[in-house]
Amino acid sequence: MIDRPWVPAWILLLGSASTLVGLAWDLQWHSDVGPDTFYTLPHLFIYAGAAVSGLVSLAVVLAATGATRSGRAVDTAVGGRRVAVLGVFQAPVGYLVSGVGSALFLLYGLWDEWWHGLYGFDAVIASPPHVGLLTSVMLAMLGSVMTCAAAAGQRWAGPAVVASVAILLGFSMVVLVAIPDTSVLDERTVTVSLLSMAALACVASFTGGLRAVLAAAVALLVAQVVLALFSPWATRLYAASEGLPLRDYTNELPRMSLLMPATLLLGVAGLALAGRSRSSVLGGALGGAALAATFPWQALLLGAAGESPSAATIVAGAVLGAVGGLVGERLGGALRLLVPARMPEVV
Amino acid sequence: MRRLAVGLVALGLLLGLAAPAQAATTQDYAPVAIVHQEHLAIGPYELTIGFSEWPVRAQQSLDFTFEPTGGIDRFTGTLVVVSPAGEEANLRRPPGVDGLARHPRQPDVWGLDVFALDEPGDWTFTFGLDGPQGPATAAMTVPVLEQPGPPLGLSWLISTLPLFVIVGLLAAAVVRGGRQPVRTR
Repeated sequence: MIDRPWVPAWILLLGSASTLVGLAWDLQWHSDVGPDTFYTLPHLFIYAGAAVSGLVSLAVVLAATGATRSGRAVDTAVGGRRVAVLGVFQAPVGYLVSGVGSALFLLYGLWDEWWHGLYGFDAVIASPPHVGLLTSVMLAMLGSVMTCAAAAGQRWAGPAVVASVAILLGFSMVVLVAIPDTSVLDERTVTVSLLSMAALACVASFTGGLRAVLAAAVALLVAQVVLALFSPWATRLYAASEGLPLRDYTNELPRMSLLMPATLLLGVAGLALAGRSRSSVLGGALGGAALAATFPWQALLLGAAGESPSAATIVAGAVLGAVGGLVGERLGGALRLLVPARMPEVV
Repeated sequence: MRRLAVGLVALGLLLGLAAPAQAATTQDYAPVAIVHQEHLAIGPYELTIGFSEWPVRAQQSLDFTFEPTGGIDRFTGTLVVVSPAGEEANLRRPPGVDGLARHPRQPDVWGLDVFALDEPGDWTFTFGLDGPQGPATAAMTVPVLEQPGPPLGLSWLISTLPLFVIVGLLAAAVVRGGRQPVRTR
């Protein structure tokens, strides 16, 4: 397994993708149908994704530990530099992060079960254990980005970095449902600006170009469209197979896809416009403002609840986009530290 | 070591995928179990309101059923729920729609499934019924006790640990990452 770095990296990506699909389906199920148990197909996708991520991370850590003990070299393309854990294990840092995320997911799964026993089954995504579960998955997905980045220079690593960033950014948008609305600013929209520009600037900084950034934005757009078609369809089909009716008054709008910005390409355009001045801050501000000005419209045009963006929201989107650009640029620099030899073009 | 790793993955996949997959094909959605009922006169009609938990506690999800005498087929109904703080609750309907929805697990009555009232105090349920004798409205108060379990702050503290790990990891990366200017070609 550690002789072929692409094998565990793509298995980890597969686990992340499974969890993203499961979450999109589960949100749709609660919105359009309702009745819930632990054993539903959307939950299967979510939990199987986390199980796959956790097990492949564990397997890599054990294999790397074994190889190190027997004096064999372990390629840093397998999850990056190794760190000693508990004085026993030699864990490649990417797989350490994904493994910790997956292990936390398991612990918060137990916490969620206890919570349901006390509070009853709930259809509220923003309950404390759900936030623990979702952020654990995000940690595992962050590990997946690191494992793909660590292999930069290998032929498979470019598409893997693009896919891992798109999955992490797409999944992270679920935090929007936990953010309360206020009348002054549209906090959800400005959060989209912050997270999107951080992710895009990170890829730009890591790869030293905009080709992979463009690919990541297109990949997320494709995922958004596929999930928008899949989630309502699969929900209706699954409900029919269970003999359950759809909720009265449901509009069957794709819940998860509506949280993702369909205008992410404007963020790429922002970075491209600022390219000559080599400033992620300026690029982030331009992209963040463009995203803030357009994101609310995708829900409005589809007939969902919402308001058109105010000037204050667009200005705040620009400010947070600039912050995202700065943070993303530095994160890209940190990802480069995972790559043993700096290359002129890593992806 | 390699065999051990492969074996662990195989075992995990078997346990992680096969068991839920088998169970997912045999669903068992719990029926609505009403433990308390209230009766409300709405003009010439009577509405029976059922609760799957009583007393109701804040943040605890429960099933509500609403059944007019004579059955829901003879009526159209509306419901607006207002919190003790005066805010209208979101009842999973599109904006501007007040209609009562059928309960997903008991579609012969109206209802709210696994629905939580998120703060303690007196909640106001205002019902409208339109039937053979014309429209009528009435309101009832639903008292909600304090939330069960540990203080919410403690629950959030426990639950935001992965978020702190992420923020810490990103902060360390930002510090170590230094400035890597965006280069475009």
